[in-house]
Amino acid sequence: MANTATVTDLIRSRLNAALSPRELDVVDDSESHRGHAGYQEGGESHFNVRIRADAFEGQTRIARHRTVHAALGKDLVARIHALSLDLDT
Amino acid sequence: MTDAATRIQETISTNDVVLYMKGNKTMPQCGFSSRVAGVLNYMGIDFADVNVLADEELRQGIKDFSDWPTIPQLYVKGEFVGGCDIITEMTLSGELDQLLDSKGVAYDKDAAEKIREANA
Repeated sequence: MANTATVTDLIRSRLNAALSPRELDVVDDSESHRGHAGYQEGGESHFNVRIRADAFEGQTRIARHRTVHAALGKDLVARIHALSLDLDT
Repeated sequence: MTDAATRIQETISTNDVVLYMKGNKTMPQCGFSSRVAGVLNYMGIDFADVNVLADEELRQGIKDFSDWPTIPQLYVKGEFVGGCDIITEMTLSGELDQLLDSKGVAYDKDAAEKIREANA
């Protein structure tokens, strides 16, 4: 099924694997960007991700974002046009 | 350093506040760039805007420079502060005021309070 995994699925599985979050919401917000740069038919371009994880303990805001970028991986980050992150412990 | 990195280093060294963005401060071309430029404008901060859409070398170069995959990116006194989410959070929490105070960058404190009241 790996070939048919959606970007949403990949975001969810990689974050779960790397961060063991207590709460994880991944919302494909692409439709609200219809007509804007980066919008593509079928969505999966703009995401809002909310994570509550102990892994962020003691990290600055920038460090938390970097942790998420690393967990997603460069290949996946490159496929996402816009990623809005709400991160806390 | 690459040419792009050299240019970026020079820009952030010679301007107290720099926003790398899509579009410019008077005509942003992306919602996230627009939000950050809007906050800086509203707070009366004197900042340099760099339109990465007009410069392919910088568009990738700024991401490599900060090891940060998204635009906009805000720099204060040569230091990377964050992107849209972080600037929004710091504005609402008052951390942006603290940062600007500590770096000696002028801004309109009343305007910052108004943003917080409007989003309370």
